[in-house]
Amino acid sequence: MSFVSNPSLRGSGSASRFAAFRLPVTVALSLLIVTIVLAWSLAPSLFTSYSPVVGVPADKLLGPSFAHWFGTDHLGRDVYARVVYGTASSVTSALIAVVIGVLFGGLIGLISGFLGGWVDVIFARLVDVLLAIPKFLLAVIIVTAIGFETINAAIATGVSAVAIFARVTRAEVIKTRQATFVEAAFLSGGSRWFILWRHVLPNASRSILPLAVLQFGESILVIASLAFLGYGDPPPASDWGLLISIGKDYLKWPWLVYAPAFVTILTVLSVNRISRWLRKTD
Amino acid sequence: MSNAYLTYAAKRLGQAVVVILLAYIFTFVVVSILPGDPITSVLRNPQNGFTEQEIAEIIAAQGLDKPIIVQLWNALSGFLTGDLGMSMRSNRPVATLIAEVLPSTLILASAGLAVALVLALLVAYGTRFVPKKYGQGLLRGFPSLFLSVPNFVIGLMLIHIFGFQLGLFRVINPDSFWATFFAAIALGIPVSAQIAEVLIANLDKEAEQEYATVARSRGIGQARLFATHLLKPASLPVVTVVALTIGELLGGSLITETVYGRTGIGSLVQRSVSTQDLPVLQAVVSLGAVVFVLVNLIADLLYPLLDPRVKIVGGRKRSPTTADEPSIGATKAVAP
Amino acid sequence: MTERSSLLSLSRRRLLVGASIAAALVATNAIDFSSALAADAPREGGDITFLIDSLGDTWIPNNSAISSFQGHIWGHVTDKLLYVDAEGKVSPWLVERWDQNDNATEFTLHLKSGVTFSDGEALDAKAVVANLDIWYAGRKNEGINPIGLFPKTYDRAEAVDGATVKVFFKKPTLGFIPTLGYHGSILVSPKSIAQPASEQADLSKTAGSGPYVVESWKEGDHVTLVKRKDYNWGPAAVGHTGPAFLDTITYKLVSEPSLRVASVQSGQADVAYNASPQELKSLKEEGFTVATPRYLGFVNGWAVNTKLPPYDDVKVRQALQAGVNRQEIIDTVYTPDWHLATSFIQSNVPGATDQSALLAYDPAKAEKLLDEAGWVKGANGIRSKDGKELALTIHSNPYLATSKSVDELIAQQLGKLGWKVVIRAYDVVTYGEKVKFGGAAVPTYEVTRSFIDAGTVAGILTNANNGENWFALDDRDTKINDLRDKIAGAGSLEERGPLLDDLQKHVLDQGYFIPRTQIVQRIYVQSPTLKGEVYNGVAYASYYTAFIAD
Repeated sequence: MSFVSNPSLRGSGSASRFAAFRLPVTVALSLLIVTIVLAWSLAPSLFTSYSPVVGVPADKLLGPSFAHWFGTDHLGRDVYARVVYGTASSVTSALIAVVIGVLFGGLIGLISGFLGGWVDVIFARLVDVLLAIPKFLLAVIIVTAIGFETINAAIATGVSAVAIFARVTRAEVIKTRQATFVEAAFLSGGSRWFILWRHVLPNASRSILPLAVLQFGESILVIASLAFLGYGDPPPASDWGLLISIGKDYLKWPWLVYAPAFVTILTVLSVNRISRWLRKTD
Repeated sequence: MSNAYLTYAAKRLGQAVVVILLAYIFTFVVVSILPGDPITSVLRNPQNGFTEQEIAEIIAAQGLDKPIIVQLWNALSGFLTGDLGMSMRSNRPVATLIAEVLPSTLILASAGLAVALVLALLVAYGTRFVPKKYGQGLLRGFPSLFLSVPNFVIGLMLIHIFGFQLGLFRVINPDSFWATFFAAIALGIPVSAQIAEVLIANLDKEAEQEYATVARSRGIGQARLFATHLLKPASLPVVTVVALTIGELLGGSLITETVYGRTGIGSLVQRSVSTQDLPVLQAVVSLGAVVFVLVNLIADLLYPLLDPRVKIVGGRKRSPTTADEPSIGATKAVAP
Repeated sequence: MTERSSLLSLSRRRLLVGASIAAALVATNAIDFSSALAADAPREGGDITFLIDSLGDTWIPNNSAISSFQGHIWGHVTDKLLYVDAEGKVSPWLVERWDQNDNATEFTLHLKSGVTFSDGEALDAKAVVANLDIWYAGRKNEGINPIGLFPKTYDRAEAVDGATVKVFFKKPTLGFIPTLGYHGSILVSPKSIAQPASEQADLSKTAGSGPYVVESWKEGDHVTLVKRKDYNWGPAAVGHTGPAFLDTITYKLVSEPSLRVASVQSGQADVAYNASPQELKSLKEEGFTVATPRYLGFVNGWAVNTKLPPYDDVKVRQALQAGVNRQEIIDTVYTPDWHLATSFIQSNVPGATDQSALLAYDPAKAEKLLDEAGWVKGANGIRSKDGKELALTIHSNPYLATSKSVDELIAQQLGKLGWKVVIRAYDVVTYGEKVKFGGAAVPTYEVTRSFIDAGTVAGILTNANNGENWFALDDRDTKINDLRDKIAGAGSLEERGPLLDDLQKHVLDQGYFIPRTQIVQRIYVQSPTLKGEVYNGVAYASYYTAFIAD
């Protein structure tokens, strides 16, 4: 397993050296990894000279080497290049999922928490319904309904995350509303929407942010799982989940599974670490 | 049992019924958007050599073109009377199909839950009592790691190491003890992360309480302190989390069953999705919601009885560790 | 009435036995035939496990008989009236001999006597009539489909006596006899046929007359077959007519191809279906039996939509024909077990001719044709004409596991010539909805289809008589329509042969059909101790004659 060699779990002892920056070393490493991943998705061609689509059929299924860091696949394509070029789609789809969750969930939570009354009751039941259906099952059903593509898998993942964001936002909004300074703002005759914008929203967003970061990592996994089941983009797309899914048909050449799996795990782990750090520093 | 509790229970029960009904309608609407159906797709298999005209005739003969509202009404009234309809794919009653595969999934899910609980306990115990220099910090990172590994990767890895390299189980006999055991590990690892997170957080809190310090000063053994003084109070919120993970277990079984070749609810869903067998999908999703709602109802109803610190006020539950609004860690769902 | 002499059919039968045994041996590619024949006299007993990727959907016999998965089970549980071997030769089975009238509208089938279904009913003329009727009509309102490939010209069938059936057609139907050996035409007992659809969907409630009966089954999990001890009416063509040798056959669903293969490698199972072609070479080296039987039918390839620009231009189609490097497909995606396409029908089909010259890889010729057609290469390497790019949208065939890999490779090959290739992969259901021959957004339709008789091919390609109009030609190509009419009217194979050759030449030269490879839709990886299985005309493995050699 990869955790043995994974630096982000170790070294809480050496954290003191970074105390001046108030940045634990694991968080720094996580940020570095996420930065690399973002760079891959923005400018993949800077990181590899191979094409992710066109391979050299004669060089198929080569093991990892200096020429091919992650080996080559069944059509002689460089797996590292495919991972790097697949990053954009993996990252973007996870982002889309988070945005859908935050926007719709946040809106529902904000409105029901702020307005209360029957609006709250209706939204609460809606959220209960979404929570009651197992999330992954919900995502599978939705992606089936709108078509097997990565973007649709992202939408499905986002929809299945709406309920959680709605719940947390609602709780935060209620907490903030009851806070003294908001009561004071009401008493001093502030407009409801102004108070919502000026006081409630910033407070609520502080606990939404770590959750959103966490959700980003989870979305990568859920979208990869959907791809694993075959609900992703057609070839030659090389999203991480698709790469693992294709690789599982070639288990004799294990790097086809473990290379993309390793990148996925490392990324999600880093994102989770950052989320944890955001929560603590809050 | 107080009046307040009874009012609370009645209210929760009412909510549960409403949620189940709404979940059924919601699923029906989503499922109705599906573009195709299994009957047409069988007819369109090129090997069959049917012409367009024949396909149209056969579809008309089966009356697959009734308005959605009529279909919803028929399905809902069937659901309420316990009739789940017929599978369009296999032409067999949905209830039979589910009954055939349910035991396998129940076994896997309970084994997965057991693995998750044991793992969570071990990790939580470790974070308390493993000395810092031997990797307490490492253990605290475990839940995060468990949440970062896709469970199909764990599954594939376990099959290859224990199934093929060590020959501990036969892949073609996925219901055997060892095959089930390793499937349960693949399913349980991500779920254990949520439980461990809540457990660790609560252990930390309980350990700071006065009675724990007192117990420790009396020279009580580590294991006993953990078991009698810390675990019990710390595990109360876990009841709620476990109830919440039921959904994850069901969702995760979808992938675990596929990887391990088990025949269960998950593989039934897979097959039904690939042929867009609406009645089966509808039934499974609704049943998932029913199970989830019921388990959570029971957990919520038990909670005030278990924890004397919880007070029912005016039909609403107030507790120190608010079960109604779980922390981020608790609601954090596990990627399957 | 022309009476076919039983002598003729007998001598033909003898010939067939030899041919099919030889074919079976070639197909199984056994490590050591001579010892297999000499030393390994079929041994009684033994159980095998066959790992399969799916067990299909419903078990209603009519709806599932041609399924690539359930066909395996039906092949052991049921018999057919005639046998069609891997070379397309028709030989007697439960029909011992048959007569037909001059214009092929009336057929008389003479049945073998003493055959019974596993529920005790006799397989007599009445039972055959019941089967013919349900094959033709199904029970549509109940959800029991007709057999799609059964002749639509069927009128009625009558039981003349207990062992004689007379079948009447509205129009000449030469294809009727081969149809009886096809995988759709499985015989089940009249009691089973009379059951409602929901009962028919329960496999254990359907009785056939085959060498095995269903012992147990679980939806999406397994089917276990146990041998029928009183069976003694096997097809003579396979060289054995008594009870089967193996006691049980278990079909077990394992959806991951790598797990199926690894299970056979580690001795946990005996046969893995649909292995990944990449693994075959090393499996052979390890001593496993690898079988890649070809079915009788079309090769895997594209039917081009000649209505959709730019494929309405013959030069672009011809460039496509010359621009596909078929050898590279076999070298990269497949193994030498796959054959180069030599026509648009498989080379083992009677009537197929070698058109390799038309299918040679010639990128220079392709580029020249595209230049001539006015497609100019731009700076990005993509050709365009009048501001439009030379585009090709490929819809991957969901019925063939390797389809996507081949698509990706061809996309690379065509990309070098200046094509902009987009690959779309739909699931089976969406594919069925969106991808059709001659569809508005479907320039090429990927074909994987078996057929009974090469004579029916021309009809399928064109739009006459419910034809499928594969190339969207309608009536624009008089030559192909002319050939179709002549082929339909041909009275003998000698007369038909040259016409079929012309048809193949014309279709390939015009670039209507772009072959990819000869198709192997069913790949079997088998433990070396299991021997003696036979592959029929649709490439199903039958373990009726198989046994375990130690």
